[in-house]
Amino acid sequence: MNCKDISQALIDRSMASLLPSEVEDHLPTCSRCRHLVRALSFPAPEARPSPAISRRIATGIAADLRPVQPIAPKSYLFAAFLGIFIVSVGLGVSRVGAFAIAVMSPLQTSVILCTLALSTGLLAYSLVHQIVPGSCHRVSPSQLPLGVAISLMIVIAVLFHFQHEQNFWAKSWACIRAGTPIAALAAVPLWFILHRGTVLWPRMTGAGTGLLAGLVGTTALEIHCPNLGAWHILVGHLGVSVLGAMTGLLIGVAAENGRLGRRLNDSVTRNFADKNLYLR
Amino acid sequence: MASVLQENNVAQRSFVHLDHWMERYQQADPEAPVALIAALSPALLCFFRSQPANREQADDLLQDTWLRIHRVRHTYRPGEPVLPWVYAIARRVGVDGYRKTRHIVAHETAMEALPEWPARAEPPNKLPAFEELVAALPAAQQEVVTLLKVGGLSLEEVARATSSTVGAVKQKAHRAYEGLRKLLRIHAEDELGGGAP
Repeated sequence: MNCKDISQALIDRSMASLLPSEVEDHLPTCSRCRHLVRALSFPAPEARPSPAISRRIATGIAADLRPVQPIAPKSYLFAAFLGIFIVSVGLGVSRVGAFAIAVMSPLQTSVILCTLALSTGLLAYSLVHQIVPGSCHRVSPSQLPLGVAISLMIVIAVLFHFQHEQNFWAKSWACIRAGTPIAALAAVPLWFILHRGTVLWPRMTGAGTGLLAGLVGTTALEIHCPNLGAWHILVGHLGVSVLGAMTGLLIGVAAENGRLGRRLNDSVTRNFADKNLYLR
Repeated sequence: MASVLQENNVAQRSFVHLDHWMERYQQADPEAPVALIAALSPALLCFFRSQPANREQADDLLQDTWLRIHRVRHTYRPGEPVLPWVYAIARRVGVDGYRKTRHIVAHETAMEALPEWPARAEPPNKLPAFEELVAALPAAQQEVVTLLKVGGLSLEEVARATSSTVGAVKQKAHRAYEGLRKLLRIHAEDELGGGAP
């Protein structure tokens, strides 16, 4: 047994399951572990709210107590996210046309569409868990949007050729302008689903939702735009997703600041009420 | 020593049937919030008091947490563990509380001296108190150790409460314990050399 094993046992809270001889062999020889185990052996600090506070909380809750319907199962929410994605892409493509399918090779078509579908699935799965506090995350929700964006860049760079293009910025801008309304169309129902749960971390969830909405626009452009230049796809098509993520992030920042403002007002109101400074 | 470690956790004291009470809370049973407040408030208060940045506002944050829990009680899914759900909300309230305090401090001038907190009793072997030790760690590690030790949550529950993965939590905890070892060694060296001029 070494220091790492002691750490592992402390983390797993399995000290009791260790053989005393194993612990006794190590602790006397290692002052660092001995101090650590002793420091963590002191009882956690006791705290009990005053009866007045507990009563105030209970009274406040009782005044507004009414039955609520638990949030829908994760599978329903996941299906709703995917449904919005498919319907929005379908509507977008029906409006702008599907010209890229005819010019892409089967490999390019299948790989890029599968990557976009996988990215969408991962983001939808993450968002379903983000709107329910205490959910189990298999992939870190804060790192997922960046991971998705980088993966898509790599796939595009591998699948398509980098070539010089005339009027590059004008063509890219035209695609961004075509894809952004489709992304915005998808963002509205996505926002409604988010409101079924609660958004604890608006920046993270905002970036994820924005990216998901942006992927709707990017997917529609991948099906629509026959320009197969890698630079064009990276800037004109994937740019819609990046713009979506940035917009979502900014909305999240604004929501957090707004919440802080509300909390400051609530706090002031409560403090005044506590001190009976309100004139009746 | 090992058994003491297991007995430390606040969470292990009175957290039976929480899921049952949560379901009844969603059904508007008036007894449910009272039972939940009695069972969870001490642990939540402990959680806030163990955060150096929120210690002084712990009572306010407790009330804010219950307000938030009440607003989003529909997001609890029957059958799921209650503690990670509650701590995830408390964690957000703690961050908001910290930002609020920082905002107020930045815009206000102190009008009178703040009351002094009573000195904490030193542990009998002169080791620094748990909060003092943990306060020296980076915020993310501090949070993980607090939830593991004060909240009494398992690794998976901490991962759920912090919107993280079990692997990431384990890594933070390992780093935190390594950091604590170093701090304790420095403390022990200081104790030994304390008498020197």
